[in-house]
Amino acid sequence: MKAVSSDFAPPLKLIAPFFKYGVIFYLFSMIALLFFSPEFSYAQMDIAGWVHLFLLGFVMMVIFGAMAQLIPVVLEVGHAVVDVYYIILPLLGVGVSAMVYGFWMMPSLLPYGGLLVLVGMIVFAAESLATLKKSTLRTLTVKTVAWSNGYLLLGILTGFAIALGLAGELSVDVEMMLKAHVYAVLGGYVILTIIGFSLILIPMFSLAHGFEEDYINRAFKWVISGVAIVFFGALFGIGAMMWLGYLTTLIGVILYMIQIYIIAKLTVRKEWDIWAKSMVFAFGTLAAAIVLGCVGFLTGKESFIHAAVWFLIVGFISSMITGHLYKIVPFLVWFERFAPLVGKEKVPMLHEMYPKEAASMMFWFTATGVVLGGFGLMGESDILFKAGASFLLAGAGFLYSSMNKMLSYGK
Amino acid sequence: MCDITKEAVFDAISTVIDPEVGFNLVEMGLIYDAIIDDDCNVHVVMTLSTQGCPLHQMITQWVKEAVERIEGVGEVEVEVVWEPAWNISMADENVKKTLGGL
Repeated sequence: MKAVSSDFAPPLKLIAPFFKYGVIFYLFSMIALLFFSPEFSYAQMDIAGWVHLFLLGFVMMVIFGAMAQLIPVVLEVGHAVVDVYYIILPLLGVGVSAMVYGFWMMPSLLPYGGLLVLVGMIVFAAESLATLKKSTLRTLTVKTVAWSNGYLLLGILTGFAIALGLAGELSVDVEMMLKAHVYAVLGGYVILTIIGFSLILIPMFSLAHGFEEDYINRAFKWVISGVAIVFFGALFGIGAMMWLGYLTTLIGVILYMIQIYIIAKLTVRKEWDIWAKSMVFAFGTLAAAIVLGCVGFLTGKESFIHAAVWFLIVGFISSMITGHLYKIVPFLVWFERFAPLVGKEKVPMLHEMYPKEAASMMFWFTATGVVLGGFGLMGESDILFKAGASFLLAGAGFLYSSMNKMLSYGK
Repeated sequence: MCDITKEAVFDAISTVIDPEVGFNLVEMGLIYDAIIDDDCNVHVVMTLSTQGCPLHQMITQWVKEAVERIEGVGEVEVEVVWEPAWNISMADENVKKTLGGL
């Protein structure tokens, strides 16, 4: 019999702070957006500060919390040392805060913040790999855990080299190293993790069955190859190699989208809830990011590339995360507070445990903000971009309120 | 001879509700069989709607406890199988309608 994870499930008090602080970082990053202009360069320190606030503070924080719960589910073994998550949280939280302050105000803080994040991520990756070693399973999701953590380590090392370079402690080509770093973390860790866990979570929540996994298996191979090609191309300064890597990754992402389309066609559950809306919006923005990215690269219009990155991270990655938070957080709260009462008294259903109106407001404000902000970046319109940022901030407020209500349900 | 019927076992299991979808396991079509021997030992054969279900162990425990509440029952075993794989056609009509699968 397949023995899955309730014995291995980490306690709510360990996981909940990752989601709570992740959402707070999201709120701060939406406030910060109000102070940016749609015309910028990637070399700007304030842009680097915002990107780290959003990607490390929100995206990585929430992913780490989710992994604490999901890794035992997919590997079917308990964590090697689950208590390290108590250390990872402050290392990541304080490290990101110091890095963002360093980017915005005090560059000399960068190596210190970077070091804290580096240690936190090394601990995370090492624990994940140690847990992986205990498992005998070799499913696609298990393979993505292995590869994504390997890329995470490469991303951390290149990021730390950049921090030392910026502080004048190490002589490195910061621009090329930056490309390797961004690609290893964003493509190698975040996108691979999303691909692997989509295969578990999307069919689970949509009750889709009986689909072949050919496309996602091929997507996985194309993406891991693409990331490796770009990473080494950037590290050794070979432009043609990087282009080949971009193309390889793009093919992988398109194959992934075909797999999701196949799953969506077999979806049994047709409820138009916050999760379903978020998934549709997420894949819509991913498609927009691909189209804009291709147009931007072919025409050389940098504003289109900016919009593509915007739709990828604030649209796709963000919606994938927030949509799943409305499923994962009620489940964790239910598991902790209500599962022991099953059979003894009436317990709530999971869909009753999140505030539906606040969730709906979060979705519509955020979706409007992403679209307006994207158009603002494309047309380099300050008004449109600021309007988008304002909607996003309102959406972030509703997300923060929803998170507090979900976490305090039944307390 | 045992007087516990398969219907009684299914009735007992129908008190177990999947908290994600809000239906009981019997109307979801997740309970494949209940084998009752002469000593009233019960062997339940069931599946789950997804192999990665994080509630796997809990649900099987709830099924065991629900059957154990039947008066006169002996040992209760719950076996989870993945063949045949569950699909929506195994669920009751009201489940299909509510989920939108019709």
